[in-house]
Amino acid sequence: MKCFFTKLYVLAFMGLVVFFSVLIWKLTFAHLIHEYHARKGDVSVQHTEEARQKKEKGKQTFDKMILESEDRVKHYLGYRVLEEQRIKGHFHHIGVDIGPDNRSYCRSCHGDMPHDSVKDIRAFLNMHAFFVACQTCHVKLGEDEKTNVYKWYDRKTGEIVASPVNGSAPGTYQAKIIPFVRENGKLVRIDSEEMMQFATDYKENEKVLSEGQKSKAKKVIHKIISKIPVKCEECHTKNNPILPLAELGYPKTRIDSITSTEVVGMIKNYTEFHMPKMLSPGEKSVTPQLQAEPLLKQQSEAPPKEH
Amino acid sequence: MSLKSRSAPFGYIGVFVLLTIYFMPASVLGADVGNCLLCHKYPGLSRVDENAQMRLLYVNEDIFSKSVHGKVKCEGCHTDITKIPHDPAKPVDCLALCHIIEPTSEQKFTHKSVATSLEDSVHSKTDKDGKEKPFSEDMPTCKDCHDNPMFRPLSFVKIVRPGVAEDALGRCRVCHTQEEFINRFYNHITTRLHKSRSPLNIAESCARCHDDPELVARHNLATTAGGSYGQTFHGKAANLLDESVPDCLDCHVPKGKSVHQMYKNKDPRATTNKENRGKICNSVDCHPGASAQFANYKVHAEFDKKSNPVIYWFTTFFIILTGGTLLPLMAILFLDLLRRLFPNASFSRRKEK
Repeated sequence: MKCFFTKLYVLAFMGLVVFFSVLIWKLTFAHLIHEYHARKGDVSVQHTEEARQKKEKGKQTFDKMILESEDRVKHYLGYRVLEEQRIKGHFHHIGVDIGPDNRSYCRSCHGDMPHDSVKDIRAFLNMHAFFVACQTCHVKLGEDEKTNVYKWYDRKTGEIVASPVNGSAPGTYQAKIIPFVRENGKLVRIDSEEMMQFATDYKENEKVLSEGQKSKAKKVIHKIISKIPVKCEECHTKNNPILPLAELGYPKTRIDSITSTEVVGMIKNYTEFHMPKMLSPGEKSVTPQLQAEPLLKQQSEAPPKEH
Repeated sequence: MSLKSRSAPFGYIGVFVLLTIYFMPASVLGADVGNCLLCHKYPGLSRVDENAQMRLLYVNEDIFSKSVHGKVKCEGCHTDITKIPHDPAKPVDCLALCHIIEPTSEQKFTHKSVATSLEDSVHSKTDKDGKEKPFSEDMPTCKDCHDNPMFRPLSFVKIVRPGVAEDALGRCRVCHTQEEFINRFYNHITTRLHKSRSPLNIAESCARCHDDPELVARHNLATTAGGSYGQTFHGKAANLLDESVPDCLDCHVPKGKSVHQMYKNKDPRATTNKENRGKICNSVDCHPGASAQFANYKVHAEFDKKSNPVIYWFTTFFIILTGGTLLPLMAILFLDLLRRLFPNASFSRRKEK
């Protein structure tokens, strides 16, 4: 027995010796090797006269414009650490982390901020795209197709989840609303696995497809999209709104707010003068400033926005 | 019904609301008088603008109310927004007169003095003669160094620790009744009694420009300052969130001056000027009694064979010496323990008798 404990004691010491050996290696030779490689990988400062005089104006690399424009930062406030995304030139703190929508097959081409055509209201539309799946507004189901069933799905996993509304600040949900349709008498979500696979296959093979094949694939993907999307007033109304807000977990106070005179009034009264397209974002504007093609028509025909 | 008669009631309501807001005591008002958060509370309120820049229009109300600007109304900075829905907002002019009254002068508050300091500093866009410096667009503007500053309160009652001391607030409540005033005053004062950003955050902020190799080359700077600071003892401690080590501002800003008053090495006002350099380290909070020579070592020397061969080989020698001594020692210890574990083990076969 004594021999067993002695062996155990020796083994423990051997473990300690190995641990310290690794530590010493990391702090000495590994550090030297790391420094050497890190320095080789760095863009070195070139103090040449040419480098001093030259600044290539307008030359923006992909790295500088896209990859370096956003990073993460930790603010050490003492009593808490505020970690957030840092957007260059952004003054206000974000303080909220919402991951990308992994389920949406629209996102792979159109990005997380898909609305851009209608300049006056693109931010509003992008705001809604944060917690409403594209199909909720851009697929207008016929009277016979309507199921009036909408559910929340998790942005990360894509799974249907319980309503995140209660207990969260407005719009800060990790989930989005998706409509359900009836297929062979069964209720299924509109973004079927087959459609997702089709879109994924298209993205993977896009480079090798001919122009004709690309058009064909885009037509299939956008087939269910309606020319005119759901209008703001169709949800922001007390009179039978498209989305069953109570069933989606919105408490009465939030429903009252969404359909309040404040919001509805802003949309209805003010936008008639300032943003004619807010009431009908899919329609052609009569004002020269807003003579854009219908948003969806553009999205389905024009090449997708790169993000 | 004509447009005029239809919109008339809204006009009266608008005037009534504005008058009510105007005559309402300031304490009743939050920063969001105009109900801007009706839309701006949504994190998804965003777009990509014509210059391919992401514009996030979200304001986190909870964080904003705890920031130093928490009492400033939205239209206090975004002065061009006068109606809802509004046109795309113009960039904020940080030098505008605020709606907040500075209590000592009883004048409207402004950041103009910062601009004056900055114009006289190494970061100014123009030189002494008023001529524009080469690559003046590289010089920082407010938002290059500052996002919305947050309070960093401290408690002093028993021990010095981060956060608010309830005991101290209790003392404030003896005379003052408004909770909002008590909290804001406490946060403001205790934040100002120490660094308003951690040394790591300060170094990161400076490094955004001073570690850009192209910018460093353009302005003929001697080093990537953030990187070389990170290699020093101070930088390593800052990286471990030590608040007592000096950051960029401690050495580059004259004591008692605004952090915006940094000068070129050649300027006699600069702390890094040959005549003044000795006083940097021997401050009462750092190394009191240190000689002038103490601050004359190569603070921003990089671990680089080309630019600093002496430091490079000296450091490399000591790293090799440390590793070369300790690692064989560990190997000997390991072998010794192995022998204790297997006392009779041998590679050579024993002769059979």
